[in-house]
Amino acid sequence: MLKIIKLEKKIGDFQLNVNDLRLEEKKIHGIIGNNGSGKSTLIKLMTGLLKPDTEIMDFGTLTKQDIVITVPRPYMLHDTVYNNLTYPLKIRKQVIKKETIMEWIDRCGLSGKEKQYAPSLSSGERQKLSLARALIFEPRVIFIDETMANMDPDSVVLFEQIISEIQLKKPATWIIVSHQLTHIYKLCQCIHFMDAGSILASGTPDEILLNSDNPVIRQYLSKYMIGN
Amino acid sequence: MQFWTSMGIEINQEIIDIILLTMKLAIVSTVISALLGIPFGMFLERVDFFGKKVIIRINRTLMGFPPVVVGLAVYLLLMRRGPLGRWELLFTFPAMVIAQTVIIAPIISGMVYTSCKNMAPQIRNFAISMGADRWQTFLLVIKEMKNDIYFILITGFGRSISEVGAVMIVGGNIKYKTRTMTTAISLMRNKGDFGEAITLGLVLLGISFIIQCFVDFLRRYEENVENN
Repeated sequence: MLKIIKLEKKIGDFQLNVNDLRLEEKKIHGIIGNNGSGKSTLIKLMTGLLKPDTEIMDFGTLTKQDIVITVPRPYMLHDTVYNNLTYPLKIRKQVIKKETIMEWIDRCGLSGKEKQYAPSLSSGERQKLSLARALIFEPRVIFIDETMANMDPDSVVLFEQIISEIQLKKPATWIIVSHQLTHIYKLCQCIHFMDAGSILASGTPDEILLNSDNPVIRQYLSKYMIGN
Repeated sequence: MQFWTSMGIEINQEIIDIILLTMKLAIVSTVISALLGIPFGMFLERVDFFGKKVIIRINRTLMGFPPVVVGLAVYLLLMRRGPLGRWELLFTFPAMVIAQTVIIAPIISGMVYTSCKNMAPQIRNFAISMGADRWQTFLLVIKEMKNDIYFILITGFGRSISEVGAVMIVGGNIKYKTRTMTTAISLMRNKGDFGEAITLGLVLLGISFIIQCFVDFLRRYEENVENN
């Protein structure tokens, strides 16, 4: 269980204040909420990309090397697609097998682009590569921040399949931030709704997305359900 | 040889010694300036401390400081009655290296600081998001910024090789000892010895051209890699 007992961060006028959030391991969690509600800030604080003002968290036996985060505009190493995929393995001193790298390149729809300079990829391709790069070393916890926003529908389906396959073979804990509610509904076992820097409600996809009485959640759903 | 002489170009042992001394001075000064300037530029970008803005302003001022003033300041420090006079460095090769380092190190640190400010935060965030430790993060920042660092070093070298005022003051333009290409050209023009002055001028021009070719090569290499 990933426990957030108290997490606080003030950025300008915005105050994030998350108390007693529990994320069950080996499950897929979705974090939804309006823009500016603190979703990205929360996962940046949890992964160490931002320094909290107050932090009481218990991640059990997890170390930094077990956790990975992908962001909406991923950084591409000034190198080939292939070498971008080897980086997480190198820093973990894991064996680099060419067939594994090539398998991931094929799997994420980048076949034939292994020698291409990664920063020259399109934004959708960069997001695919960033996801493959995050998954290649089999992390125990994966934070995904709007990474599928620029992908075409086929690629989103492809990654949903990849996530499902991983959960069958070697389950990981996923924390997915997204406005694509269909995608969240299909994948997640637990959804946390954020509003004004706090967790307003947590529950199953049905509880939050279909049967919630909370007016803030209902207003949010009315905006995002159309076309999702 | 007759052809070169008829063109007004003279090549003799003194000219060769001057060229070699100039190259040695430029290389030693650039290496020392890089060893001081690169870590200092990175430190300025990474660490917040009281008075940082003032330090950055001083550094920027030093970047555009007139070399003759630097020469005068180093002269006053190294002169027999000066604070470092007992080391008897004035009119020696080390004195010229000190003067050139005072000129070039702020240029290198200032340029490294600016490059780091633009690039390092996203590289660091990427490394952290992948689970890299501090040392791995530092190495990645250096690796990703290597092309910028090459350009900065070449700029420093170019500045060193074309500098005249400071080395004239602290080196004294002593034959076979502290005479560089630029100070020799200045002296030969005064003596009306245009053959040797033209020769050194052409060599200096040639070196600048080679440096420019090298910069172009790096740029083209980077563009080629990006387009592949």
